[in-house]
Amino acid sequence: MEKRKEIFPFGIPGHNLSEIEREIPNDEPPAWPVNDQLKEVGKRVNRIDARAKVTGEAKYTSDMKLSGMLYAKFLRSNIPHGSITSIDTSEAEKVPGVHGIHIITKNKEDGMVGNEYPEIKYVGQPIAGVAAESLSIAKDAVAMIKIEYDPKSFVIDLEEAMLPDAPLVFKEPIQRQEDGGDVGVVHDGSKGQGNLRGPTTSSFYGGPRGDLEKGFAEADVMVENTYRTQVHTHMPLETHGVVIDWKPEEMLVYASTQNTAGVRNELANYFELPKSQVRVICDFMGGGFGAKHSAGSFGPMAAILSKKTKRPVWLMIDRKEEHLAEGNRPSSIQTLKIGAKRDGTLTAIQQKSHGTAGVALGAGVGRIAQILYDCPNFKTEQYDVLTHAGPGAAWRAPGNVQGAFGVEQAIDELAEKLKMDPLALRDKIDKSEVRKVERSRGAELFGWSNRKPAGSASGIIKKGMGVAQSCWPRFVTLNSSIEVRILNDGSVEVRGSVQDIGTGTKTILAQVVAEELGLKTTDITVRIGDTLFPDGPGSGGSVVTQSITPPARNAAYEAKMKLFNQIATKWETEASKLEAVDGFIIHKDDRSKKIPFKEALRGMRTSQISVTASRSNDYGGFQQPWGLAYGDLGSVQFAEVSVNTNTGFVKVDRVVAAHSCGRPLNMSQLESQVNGGVIQGISYALYENRVMDKGTGHFMNANVDQYKVPYSMEIPEIEVIIVEEYGALSSTDAYGIGEPANIATAVAIANAVYNAIGVRIYEIPITPASILKALNKIYE
Amino acid sequence: MNKFSWYEAKSVEDAVKQVNNTVSEELYLPSGKAAIFKSGGIDVLDLVKEGLIQPKTIVNVRNIPGLNKISFDDNGLRIGANVTLAEIEGNEAVKTRYAALHEAVAHAATPQLRNMSTIAGNLAQRTRCWYFRSSDHPCFRKGGDKCFAKHSETGQNENHAILENDRCVSVYASSVATALLAYQGSVMITNGKMESRQVPLSEFFVAPDQDVSRENILEPNDLITEISVPAPDMNTKSYYSKQVQRASYDWSMADVAIVAQMNGDTCEKITITLGAAAPIPIRAYEAEKIVLNKKINEERATRAAKVAMENAKPLSKNSYKLPLFESIIKQGLLEIA
Amino acid sequence: MKKLASGKSKKSISRRGFIRGAGLTTAGTVVLNSGVLAFEHKESYPKGDLIAEGAVEIKMKVNGLSRTLSVEPRTTLADALRDQLDMTGTKIVCDRGSCSACTVYLDGKPINSCMTMALDVGQQEVTTIEGISSGEKLHPVQEAFIEHDATQCGYCTPGMVMSCVHLLKHNSNPTLDDVKHATRGNLCRCGTYPHVFKATLSAAEKMK
Repeated sequence: MEKRKEIFPFGIPGHNLSEIEREIPNDEPPAWPVNDQLKEVGKRVNRIDARAKVTGEAKYTSDMKLSGMLYAKFLRSNIPHGSITSIDTSEAEKVPGVHGIHIITKNKEDGMVGNEYPEIKYVGQPIAGVAAESLSIAKDAVAMIKIEYDPKSFVIDLEEAMLPDAPLVFKEPIQRQEDGGDVGVVHDGSKGQGNLRGPTTSSFYGGPRGDLEKGFAEADVMVENTYRTQVHTHMPLETHGVVIDWKPEEMLVYASTQNTAGVRNELANYFELPKSQVRVICDFMGGGFGAKHSAGSFGPMAAILSKKTKRPVWLMIDRKEEHLAEGNRPSSIQTLKIGAKRDGTLTAIQQKSHGTAGVALGAGVGRIAQILYDCPNFKTEQYDVLTHAGPGAAWRAPGNVQGAFGVEQAIDELAEKLKMDPLALRDKIDKSEVRKVERSRGAELFGWSNRKPAGSASGIIKKGMGVAQSCWPRFVTLNSSIEVRILNDGSVEVRGSVQDIGTGTKTILAQVVAEELGLKTTDITVRIGDTLFPDGPGSGGSVVTQSITPPARNAAYEAKMKLFNQIATKWETEASKLEAVDGFIIHKDDRSKKIPFKEALRGMRTSQISVTASRSNDYGGFQQPWGLAYGDLGSVQFAEVSVNTNTGFVKVDRVVAAHSCGRPLNMSQLESQVNGGVIQGISYALYENRVMDKGTGHFMNANVDQYKVPYSMEIPEIEVIIVEEYGALSSTDAYGIGEPANIATAVAIANAVYNAIGVRIYEIPITPASILKALNKIYE
Repeated sequence: MNKFSWYEAKSVEDAVKQVNNTVSEELYLPSGKAAIFKSGGIDVLDLVKEGLIQPKTIVNVRNIPGLNKISFDDNGLRIGANVTLAEIEGNEAVKTRYAALHEAVAHAATPQLRNMSTIAGNLAQRTRCWYFRSSDHPCFRKGGDKCFAKHSETGQNENHAILENDRCVSVYASSVATALLAYQGSVMITNGKMESRQVPLSEFFVAPDQDVSRENILEPNDLITEISVPAPDMNTKSYYSKQVQRASYDWSMADVAIVAQMNGDTCEKITITLGAAAPIPIRAYEAEKIVLNKKINEERATRAAKVAMENAKPLSKNSYKLPLFESIIKQGLLEIA
Repeated sequence: MKKLASGKSKKSISRRGFIRGAGLTTAGTVVLNSGVLAFEHKESYPKGDLIAEGAVEIKMKVNGLSRTLSVEPRTTLADALRDQLDMTGTKIVCDRGSCSACTVYLDGKPINSCMTMALDVGQQEVTTIEGISSGEKLHPVQEAFIEHDATQCGYCTPGMVMSCVHLLKHNSNPTLDDVKHATRGNLCRCGTYPHVFKATLSAAEKMK
């Protein structure tokens, strides 16, 4: 491919902004200047689909109503472990309005031991589905299916599952492709004994480093502690589900998904259909947070019921099913040992973790310990522990949120031992330039200098301040394309399979294309979330912005150049002499020569210009050729809490979140996402927890009122700082922010609680019980 | 929800003739033929949605004329059974004369639910114990043979009772009940023969050791028509505090109501009631004695709070409730002093 | 019978094999092609005070219009609005009155339509999110939600708007705390609260 050289802005405005020359492919557009000099990009542009949301007009998968549609309901197991000895659907079949019942049977891969029904491994495992003329009828019929079980002993507690005589969840080696959010990771469950799988000792950043023993021998101070995090579920407001109309010529799927293309591939693969005959649509989507990358069991179930009944089938699971079976963030028990020299230099980090993702894998604690700080000697062992509980799934920054809870407390403990300020220690050991800026700007806005020594606050309600950092890789999904169409009335359409899960993808695509074409964001029509259009990335792992906005800009640029060529011929000049600004196409040398964008396309031979583009590798190359970019998506978050030492209640009063994401595209949407990450972090630190009854294996608070998440009164003042950081890496140089927003909050709160009461809490959620216990106020 | 028919009751007389069971009895021993009352419907629908009861007929008492009035005079406060929590919250007399009740009502549920929930329904709602609310856990209250929550190794009992918890360890759901009990309110009940009786709240609730199948004395055909609360003395001071994990909207972890008649800083009459401490709202009689006819000071408040928890028998996961109760009882006593 | 469920790639096999704990084949499917519309659409009209189980036709005032619906005694107002009138702005999230996504007004008061039976409505006027704007003209709260980016996935938004519009109708000069109190029953998982607060306060300013 022909290349040319371009000068790009490089660095952090207000800190070290400079320029850099890069070689870029000829068909990609020239460098954009910094955001200050742009019109649509980087601004507070209103979400283009907000009107549909505030009026209730937005149609989500759960709102779909197709002609002749049936409603389906799952029957799920209410035992945690055992085999099904019989299923009797005869009474259910007689319920008027029931059109189809499907019982799940084994795949060959499940092994053919026993009868045809898969072994039950958790409460909530799907067993059968009923399609009927209304949801009420489907529920009535499900209630009439009789099942007999042969129950077996089970284990739901992580530590009990590790005991040698614990009931086994799987007897065979297993593996699992991560559903999303963790690009390219296959969790290997082939090694290990009993319910233990692993250890994982390396990541795409490499394996162990240096010599631990030597490192610890060199250390002047050491910190060694165990940190525990709970299992918590995603609880998106819209549950998982699909509406499927399996017609002879096409399987039409409306899915509440983070990955339309992925769901299409999965269903096509599953039913041995050509991808061209499966169409997945997701226009509006009611939240996923990592759990909605797959067709799950509900996809195939709805498809089978649709095929057999020859009618569209609606299958949205209910709130309880959502909690039980469609994802959770695995727990962790992490032991960290960190050694450092007197000046703070780290000499060794040793990490060992166990976590349970129930019947699934993926309970590692991420790569924070491995890469956040410079340390020559490093080793990690991360184990999965299988239990008879619902499967985990990617949950906003999978692994790193748990991992940060350990690492960032340990670093604070180290700072205390070294008698250093926690920020000063991080200045010493963190090589990231952008986090350095985030620390300094964040500390100033937060008022870090007012922080008092741990436990020195007086009175019943003690205030404390804490800080924590995060990192998240910059993943790029190279299989990401966008089509830009310019129609001959000047209207512009952006098309792709990439979906907007509430982060604002539709809007940033419109902004980028509008900027390139000299138009307003509101001039652009965005049709995405439909596999009829070019494949885009799944919305997970904060990959979307860097994967899909460069293709959008590239496509808009190529379309623009085609248009310029036509006009240039008419004006007897060269395309390179033209520019598109403020709704006009203008001759750069003779600015009186201009034509409104809307009129420029009249008289085209064909009625549209259509370009589908993807993106090249990063201009400076990748760390890993599959799309691991240089740099990271870091953040520094500060939290201030009040702890009532009489009642044990903790309230988060204030959070300052300083983040970077390359070139910021839409400030208000970025703030929204960071707010969300912070609030979920508060929730993780103080409120939510999956409560399992150890006697029956049931999830006891699988509802909304007792599965505690924050509502309005729990929301602190949140201030967001977005640090612009130019890396000259793609045509937009922009990155996502979803994952990093959620990583540092919980541990910043834990550090603040320590600062308030002078006793460190090593386990979340931090509840009145844990505070009162820490303060020795609980007596028996 | 199962299919049911609907009866729109036109009068109390009409209503009490149509029902044949209580929610509690149907839960304990399902008849499959139950006709039960519904007013605001929140708790009944919740139980029906969970499949815990499958009524044959819902008798809607929400629109019975005359049950939706709230009035206050020298004899006290009278709240019709169908008055909503929002209406109580907005009532001037409640705001000015019954501060603890106002506080309890304002902290119940959500604004939406307060517009729907009636006072009678709130008082008579069933416990939120998650084992009780699960159709997969046949506990004592549902005719089963055990209390899952009480189990020292497997029970998840952080929200459960620390007092009077020998059998069933659930706690009463209504925190408004805690306040009404402190005001020594009473309930007017009409039975199937159209006989009315006034029952003090102290006799309204039924503890598990008396009868585990129910949480109140209501018999089939009994309909609550009114709640009345005596008029407070000019020297009456009151306090209410509900401790919740989530301030926005949550069930009580510990709530305390105190209603006291003060003469200067001497306490001449006092009721201290505790919610979410036991299976029913209870009075802390021994704690009351510590401060009765005495000046309330720091030392007595501390002692009263300790005494209130003296007989507590915490379960495996709820011993935090002891310091929590102690702290709010003490704070409450000091506030009214 | 054709076996449908033998994914070829190793990835899909291993995934299906255990994550979901469930294989799927057609072997167990029972198909009932009765072709009979079984849902009891033979509607009865309420006779006397007892309404039998099964569907009845009722009239309901929704957003100023009188609508005719077919409901069972067990039909909630939320289901009736969504399924019968296709007013899907009203969302069902918790289905137990705990999240307020299903908020509608009955005679102007916000309630949870998932815990209200359709038969409970009677003569009361129902207002849904679809009835908040007047034609193309949005309510100032809706406009402010757009301007302050108070939506993310948008699933809680209708309920949030209902709570905030009701607040401003009764309190033209709200504080931040008032807005928090008004929305304390509204669950948002994406974390729109800070922007919801800002938007509502700004709408109040504009409405002055």
